Amino acid sequence: MPRRDEDHTNVNQTMKPSTANTCFFAATLAGVLAAACAFVAGIWSSNLVWSSSLAGVSVVLMAAGIGAAWRLTRSTRTQRAALRYLESLARMDDAELRQTSEARSVAGVDQGSPWYAVFARVRERLLEQGRRAEALEMNRAALEVRARRKTCEQERIAAILGGLGEPVMAVDRYDELVLANPSAEQLFDFDLEHSDARLVRDLVRCEELLDLLSDTRRHSSREKTRELQLAAAGEEPRWYNVTARALEEPHEEDELSDESDASGAVLVFRDISSHKELQKRNAEFVAAVSHEMKTPLSGIKAYVELLADGDAEDEQAREEFLEVINSQADRLQRLIQNLLNIARIEAGVVEVSKKPQSLNDLLEEAFNVVQPAAEAKNIRLTNELSSMYLGVLVDRDMMSQAAINLLSNAIKYTPEGREVVLRSRLVEDEVEFEVEDQGVGLSEEDQQRVFEKFYRVKKDKSMAAGTGLGLPLAKHIVEDVHGGQLSVRSELGVGSTFAIRLPNAGQMS
Amino acid sequence: MTKRILLCDDEFHIVRAAEIKFQRRGFEVRTASDGEEAWEIMQNWVPDVLVTDCQMPRLDGLGLVERLRGAAATADLPVLLLTAKSFEKQYRERAEALRVLRVMAKPFSPRELLIQVEQIVEQSPRTATSDDVALEAGSCN
Repeated sequence: MPRRDEDHTNVNQTMKPSTANTCFFAATLAGVLAAACAFVAGIWSSNLVWSSSLAGVSVVLMAAGIGAAWRLTRSTRTQRAALRYLESLARMDDAELRQTSEARSVAGVDQGSPWYAVFARVRERLLEQGRRAEALEMNRAALEVRARRKTCEQERIAAILGGLGEPVMAVDRYDELVLANPSAEQLFDFDLEHSDARLVRDLVRCEELLDLLSDTRRHSSREKTRELQLAAAGEEPRWYNVTARALEEPHEEDELSDESDASGAVLVFRDISSHKELQKRNAEFVAAVSHEMKTPLSGIKAYVELLADGDAEDEQAREEFLEVINSQADRLQRLIQNLLNIARIEAGVVEVSKKPQSLNDLLEEAFNVVQPAAEAKNIRLTNELSSMYLGVLVDRDMMSQAAINLLSNAIKYTPEGREVVLRSRLVEDEVEFEVEDQGVGLSEEDQQRVFEKFYRVKKDKSMAAGTGLGLPLAKHIVEDVHGGQLSVRSELGVGSTFAIRLPNAGQMS
Repeated sequence: MTKRILLCDDEFHIVRAAEIKFQRRGFEVRTASDGEEAWEIMQNWVPDVLVTDCQMPRLDGLGLVERLRGAAATADLPVLLLTAKSFEKQYRERAEALRVLRVMAKPFSPRELLIQVEQIVEQSPRTATSDDVALEAGSCN
């Protein structure tokens, strides 16, 4: 505690130190003069009795004066001690005040003196005030720390919310927006800090969202979720999973307690556009799968029924029907097998056994597998494999499947009497093999989409049965499993060339 | 009197199964693999009933029916539509607007198809004859 010297009053200014001495000397001098006068008067009057009486009175007066002076002196000393004590109290800080013992503090003042009790009470009061001041100071410091911590916390929360890509907003029980992170501001196109509007309905113009909010706040213990399509200014609409959770807010002291049923709410928006897109693609995929499965099933069902109804006129017709049933069952089996293979590769659960080997050996095997189909359709299948050794690190079964799929496609969609060529070559650091056909060719759109699952070129569709999965499967095998590249170049009316590039694995060890 | 039926589907085996069923029942049957081919056939040969798939290359089933409704000779031709997918609302509305009489989901039973077609033919006032006039050129929209 700071010393308050300005409040200090100098003892010398209020009580002259010589006053007591002056009284003492004045009383003594008056007594001596009175005794001397009495003695002189006695001698002069030769009246010894009178003179003795006068002298006695003088002595008594002198004694009284001395006594009075002594008492005055003593009283003055007490006052001076008291003033010094008060002065020192005024100068002391709390620590000094506590350390100062009572006896020492009031030294010079009799314990029986009324001053002593007063000084003791003053000291106690000062000590008490000091203790209170200290407690207040500690409280203030604690509050300051809490306030600083709260500020830091708020700044941290603001930084976290600001960094969130997901919009977050909070409203109080008066429907006023109290928090909105930048993502929310961007989505609903407002600036909360600089906006005069505070009511959520003025800032967020989405009836479904406002309904969700009021619905949640009416049932304050509930959490409600809704999927909404929302569009930020100038952007395409996106799907959000909006969770509204009621928040019980602490009431301020001056607020009415009858509003205790109302509550604020926090809104969290989770962007589920990609999930929705996936759902849509899945639904399309399932629809496409079911369509592709229904077609061979239709054939099987129809011909079984024809046989059952005796619609086969002769043995030849019966064999024709059975052949159709068999081929449609095979088609269904191929479809299921291709679906499973694609699903396994996409899920990353397929077992891959890559080994360094000769690409040409692998291609010759594939060539031999499809040769009968080419011959049956009177298509000239030509082998133009490189004379060089082309080493590749591949899973033999899978890469053979990819090569067979390309060759089968080429044979399937090339008109009779034309040619399909299988080539291989070394291109810079990679090896390449390609299948060139003389089919109808692909339009630009078809070239873009020919690797999509179940996409079938319209013209091809009428030429041959297919699952629409052969090329997507080949692309998965080449690109996802082996890190290669499958591409197509084509010209309408001329033909198409499907090419596969793979990393060169060099010479066989 | 021999009834004429035109079967139109890009799945050859489906068309073939239905063709066998209708031929054995005494129908005169013609087949087409898409809407364009069916349209070309009907320039010279008008059936008593058309059975067509919905999804086909070049010209789909509803596209074909729309074209037929614009031609005098086929404006009232009874049509049965086959579809492999669930028939969505907008297509159903369009089919109704084009006066498609029946819709059958794939995979279908040739036996059931025959029953449906016979009902259509019985209810139809139209009587096909071998000397039906060909569609007049330019009568389509």
